[in-house]
Order: sequence, then C-alpha cells, then structure tokens
Amino acid sequence: MEHVGSTTSVRSLIRRLAASSSAGATRTAAPGEPTTARVVRLAGPYVLSTASVGLALFGSLFLQREGFRALDFPLFLFAIASTVWYPGVGPTIVALVLSSLAFDYYFVEPRHSFAVAPSDIPYFVTFLLFALMLSRFSVVRRRSEQQLLDSREQLQTEVAEGKAREEQIRKLNEQLARRSADLQAINTELEAFAYSISHDLSAPLRHMVGFTALLQKSASSALDDKSRRYVATILDAANKMGQLIEDLLAFSRIGSAETRATTVSLQQLVKEVVEEMGPETASRKVSWTIGDLPVLHGDRSMLRLVLVNLVANAIKFTRTREQAEIELGSFEDERGVVVFVRDNGVGFDMKYCHKLFRVFQRLHRREEFEGTGIGLATVQRIIQRHGGTVWAEGTVNGGATLFFSVPRALKR
Amino acid sequence: MDKLQRILMVEDDPRDAELSLTALDQYNLANEVFVVGDGEEALDYLYQRGKFTTRANGNPAFILLDLKLPKIDGLEVLQLIRADDALKFIPVVVLTSSHEERDMVASYKLGVNAYVVKPVDFHEFVDAVKALGMFWAIINEPPPGSVRRP
Repeated sequence: MEHVGSTTSVRSLIRRLAASSSAGATRTAAPGEPTTARVVRLAGPYVLSTASVGLALFGSLFLQREGFRALDFPLFLFAIASTVWYPGVGPTIVALVLSSLAFDYYFVEPRHSFAVAPSDIPYFVTFLLFALMLSRFSVVRRRSEQQLLDSREQLQTEVAEGKAREEQIRKLNEQLARRSADLQAINTELEAFAYSISHDLSAPLRHMVGFTALLQKSASSALDDKSRRYVATILDAANKMGQLIEDLLAFSRIGSAETRATTVSLQQLVKEVVEEMGPETASRKVSWTIGDLPVLHGDRSMLRLVLVNLVANAIKFTRTREQAEIELGSFEDERGVVVFVRDNGVGFDMKYCHKLFRVFQRLHRREEFEGTGIGLATVQRIIQRHGGTVWAEGTVNGGATLFFSVPRALKR
Repeated sequence: MDKLQRILMVEDDPRDAELSLTALDQYNLANEVFVVGDGEEALDYLYQRGKFTTRANGNPAFILLDLKLPKIDGLEVLQLIRADDALKFIPVVVLTSSHEERDMVASYKLGVNAYVVKPVDFHEFVDAVKALGMFWAIINEPPPGSVRRP
C-alpha cells in the first residue's frame, strides 16, 4: 500500500496503524490474533478519524485566531478525505458527522451553537454529498486494491505451482536420461559379451572338433568299435555345441538389432517362404491352404524369420504323416490382427504349452526330431518387439496351431 | 641363407596353426609355410630384421593373417604392409574367428585381398584353408619380388 511519504512521526504512526488495519475491516479475528491486536485493528480507524477531525478543528481555530484566511472548510474536508485510507465506511461517516458538527458549531453563524439556518442547508447538503462521494471512492479504491492484491497472490501461487511442476518434470527427465544411459551401457556390455562369446568360445570349440576329426582319421584303424563310437560321440557333441552357440548368438542379436519398419505383405512373404522350402517338401505330399494374410507395418527380415520358423516347424512335425496338411490364415479379435499356422502333425500336449516358447526348450527327443529348440523363442522375441503376443494350441498326435498377434495399428 | 618360404602364416594360436598346416598338407604346401606367433615377428620377418636378418631376399607369395594377435595386432600389421612400397603388393588373406562386421569393414578398408572366417566345423575349416592355399599359392601369380614356385 503506497502512502504519500511523510517524515513526521504522527504520519508514520498513522501509516503503521492503517497498514495493520488495511487487511480489511473484518470483524472476525484473524487466526492467532491476540485480543489487544484485534481491538487495535477494529477501533483504530475510528480513533484515527476522530483524531484527524480534532486536528482539523484545532488547526482551523488556531489559524483563525492568528488572523489567517479561514481554513476551516478545507481542513475538515482534509480530515474526511484522510479517512479514505482506512477500510470500512465507518470511520469516514464518523469523520463526516464530527466535521459537520464541529463546522456548524465553531464556524457557521450563529457561532457556538448547533442551529442551522435554512439558507445554510444547501451548503451542508453539498458538504455531505461531497463527503459521501469521497467515501464511495474510498470503498471502490479499496476493493480494487484488494482485488489486485488477491489476483497478485493468486498469480504468485500459480507461478509457484508452475515452477514446482517444471521442477518435477525436470527431475523426471533427468531420471529418464539416466535410465536411458544405463540401458545404453547395459546394451553395450551385452553386445561386447556376445562378441566375446562368438570369438573366444569358437576357438577352443574349433580345436575340439578339428583334433577329434584328425584323431578319427589317424587312429580309426587302431581303435575298436567302442572307442570309435566314443570318438564319434565327442565329435558330434562338439558340433552340437557350435550350433547352440551360433543359435544363441543369433537369438541374442534380435533383441538389440535395429529394426527397419516398412510395409510388409505377409501374403507375399509366405509365398516366398513356401517356395524356399520346396526342396524339403519335394519328396513328400504336402497340401498348402493359404488364406488372406494381412499387410503389416513391420521389419521385413524379422517377420520373414517368423514365417520361416513357423512353416519349417509345420513341415518338420508333419514328416510322419502320409499327407501333410498345412494351413495359414488370419483373423482379427480383441488382441489385434492374428495370424496362424496350423498343421496335422504330431502336435503336443497342452500341459506343456507354456514351455513351447522357451529358449532351447524341446518337447521331443533328438532322435525323433532335430533342432535346438530356438525357433519358437525367436518367433516370440520378434513378435514381442512388434508389440504382439504368441500362443499355441495342440493335441498329442492331433496337430498343432501356432498363433501370433500384432496390434491393429500395425495393419495396413 | 635361410630359405624364404612362400607362405607366411601369422597365427598366435598353435592349435589353429597346426590345424591349418594339416589342411595345407593335403596339397603338399605344409613345408612351404613359415609360422610366426605375433605381429611384431611378422613385421621382423617381412623386413628381414630382428632374428630374420639371414633370411633370403624376396617376399612371400601370400600371407595368412590372423587378426587378434599379441604385441602388434593384425589390422596394424596389414596397415603397415599396405603403407610400404616394397610390401604392399603381397596378397594378404585374413583368416580369423571374428565375423564381426567392424573387423571386416576395417580389413577391407585397409585393402585386404580376402577375409575368411574360420569355420567351427572342421571339414569346412580344412576345405577353406585348402582352397586358400590352392588359389593363392598355386593358381595365383604372385606379384613381382615374390619367391617363385619351385
């Protein structure tokens, strides 16, 4: 609240009192406000307005006695106007009434009496109206000042809230950046790990395979059947290990490989894949039923790998059938766009269906069907990267159906 | 004067070296191979310095170079060979277990003649080394300054 500055102690006293009462002429006590402070706050303005009228009165009388031009009227107006600073119309009315009385008594003929001549009435009425207008202005001014203070407070709160939110966002961003950096570091570590496996393990493996093969060649005449079988087993196991390492590496690369998303027609891909499998199925009777397959937005080489794995499995596990029947199709449901590959092969027991997609998990003995058991794990990993899921249904000796779904948003 | 061998094999793993020699032996090339165990020795041999000051003059017909070598590694050896006028025409075949793209790219950038990944399968390994020996030591005409075929 900007007051006109004054160096007199009286003025500063008034300012301090006014400031304490400018919080509004609220009758209710502020929280934690002691009674004396409350009394001061409520009664203060009235005391001040009476005091300013008194000051105006004595001032006028003094100046009149000293022979100055009559200053009574302006001084009383001054006193009334000064009450404009205090909240509430009360002090203004008090000042107005006291001023009128004092003015009438001391300065209007007949002096020292409260009588008012009819010709003086318009004078007093104007005086009154002017004072009332002043007090009205005061109310309006105070109200708008309060509004300003309120909106400023509100603005400050909003700014503070905004700042707090910004700070929170900044913290979250920092966290995110840190996590990204961590993930990046882990990724790099994993890649280095995979590289190490591929390089460091392959050398001893190669030696195992190589020298066992040399042994086989150079010592087979000196070995009996049992020993020859042992040597062959060692060689076979070493070869198998090499295959496992390669499969595992390829699988681990899927997780970190860069995907390039383009428009991929599954119909087209399936045709290519089936053609590729031609040699495998040449000597067998395979009937293909290929329905409408969707066009998806995804990584072509990865999706191709999915189809290769699923179709290869279908072909492999129908090998015992006189006539292999393999069907591919698609439909949509709440999971999204679903594609399936169904075969009439050896199938599987549904109670193992949760194991189907695990790495190196197989449900058949090696003598029955070859493979390291990484095909379906690969399919799952790829489909997961596309935001979808995989599942299977089957019965023992009654064929199997492999499903994968992708979000509808990927359909083109 | 020590005889200059036609094939310089730079291989730090003695077992890999043995397997390779066995393969090359199928074309009777095994006794024309000189094996060194690290990059420093390879350069000493090529420059006829260190323990090879008594080597006969001339360059090997080709070099089988492993990449992961102690002291001076394969890519650095390759770079130095290609930077030297006297040596830069020697055919270099990288024979390594690494099939990482960055090694392949780096090798080709430095001007390697061939990049072969050592197969884990023994028969494939033998076939590969045999084929390399057959081509680079027998079929290919080595650059001038190389030791001639006996």
